[in-house]
Amino acid sequence: MKNNQSLRDDSFTPTEFISVVNQTLDYAYSSVLITGEVASYKVNQGKWVFFDLKDEESSISCFMPLWDLRMPLEDGMKVIVRGVPKITKWGKFSFTVSVVKPVGEGSLKKAYELLKKKLEAEGIFDQAKKRPIPEDLTKLGVISSTGAAGYADFVKIINARWGGMKVFVAHTQVQGLDAPDQIIRALQYFNEHGNVQMIAILRGGGSADDLSCFNDEALVRAIAASKIPVITGIGHEVDESLSDLAADVRASTPSNAAEMLTRDRAEIKGKIIRSVGRISQITLQEIERALADSRSSIEGIMKKSLEQINLARQQNVAQLRRANSLIKAKYIDPVLESNREKIRRSLERIKTEYERIKNSIEQKSKLLEALNPETILSQGYAIIAGKISPGSVVKITTLQQIIDAEVKKIEERNNNE
Amino acid sequence: MSEKLTLNQKINKLDGEVEWFYSDDFKLEEAAKKYKAAVALAKDIESDLNELKNEIEVLSEDFSK
Repeated sequence: MKNNQSLRDDSFTPTEFISVVNQTLDYAYSSVLITGEVASYKVNQGKWVFFDLKDEESSISCFMPLWDLRMPLEDGMKVIVRGVPKITKWGKFSFTVSVVKPVGEGSLKKAYELLKKKLEAEGIFDQAKKRPIPEDLTKLGVISSTGAAGYADFVKIINARWGGMKVFVAHTQVQGLDAPDQIIRALQYFNEHGNVQMIAILRGGGSADDLSCFNDEALVRAIAASKIPVITGIGHEVDESLSDLAADVRASTPSNAAEMLTRDRAEIKGKIIRSVGRISQITLQEIERALADSRSSIEGIMKKSLEQINLARQQNVAQLRRANSLIKAKYIDPVLESNREKIRRSLERIKTEYERIKNSIEQKSKLLEALNPETILSQGYAIIAGKISPGSVVKITTLQQIIDAEVKKIEERNNNE
Repeated sequence: MSEKLTLNQKINKLDGEVEWFYSDDFKLEEAAKKYKAAVALAKDIESDLNELKNEIEVLSEDFSK
């Protein structure tokens, strides 16, 4: 009896036992990762997810709230789950899952395509919602693992290209089951503090499995819902995550994100030098043009002035001519006419006097001619010179001859006979 | 008192000043003054480009919790 009594005292009620077992399980397996294939997947009441996780030999019943399921599940998909083992109040073993993630190329691809289709239908990736990189980016939030090579590349490039930017870095995991929640918390931090203009989510290259955290539904939704524009630089050029599709700007790599977010100081310097040179050239051209215009204007003014001067001169000449004509007609011509009459009369008098003198000279010339001895001789007369006395010799001159003759007799001549 | 401009704001301001030379607002009487201002701003920007560093601060917040 005593043994029976003792046995009863040490026994558990079913509830107590389940509770003890669960405590023991929780202590021993507070967080367990199990990889297996999904089977018998179903959602009850729109809230509870049930599926079996199996391999070739065994199967574990899994349970999780629907809101913790951040990827589409289908039977046959290979997944890794994190959770805790538990005995239900009905005494059945169950595995309560907190995180589920696809593994293996086929499952990753399948999960990606299913979630992409779902989110596309909701408009999560709409291009119309995309916001550009702010023009004057001076405050940047970065979400990355500070130990990752991709982050180091990013920092190196932004420092080489640009300066004067304040960069706040949220250090998070960028792969693994915890990465999505950490990145979401960092996104929330920047959105709540509002002290950055853009958020860059960076992660260097990796395997499809490494990068699969960026296909987490909650993370994709958080990126799409961010009040602050998000740029992603995840993996390599060929890698396209759903986070990339949800982001406002997608850079192919962290280095590419650095290039897209910053301007190249060397390029800016070159542009500034070219700009200053160009405006100097423009100013000089305008000065030359203004000088040419001024020269042209001055030439035009000079030409017009000369034309006016010529016109005025021509008008003056005409006026002078008219004035001359008037003066000539009024003052000079009458005087000339008057003088001309006087001259004419003087000439008349001179002419008369001349005629008179001329006649007088002619008369005297005739008289002289008549008195000329030669003229008398030519009329047959002779000139006797010498003493006229009988016996004297006298010289007789005729027209043709000079004769010496002796006077023989002298008789007086009677003129009245 | 001169306004404190960021490097990008200075570059944008210079772009605007350069644009004036290409615009219909260009006046030769003002060009020399504008040119001097643009050159001074260009030197300021070049100095900033040579000297300004990015300030990188890793947040102390623990995002794993």
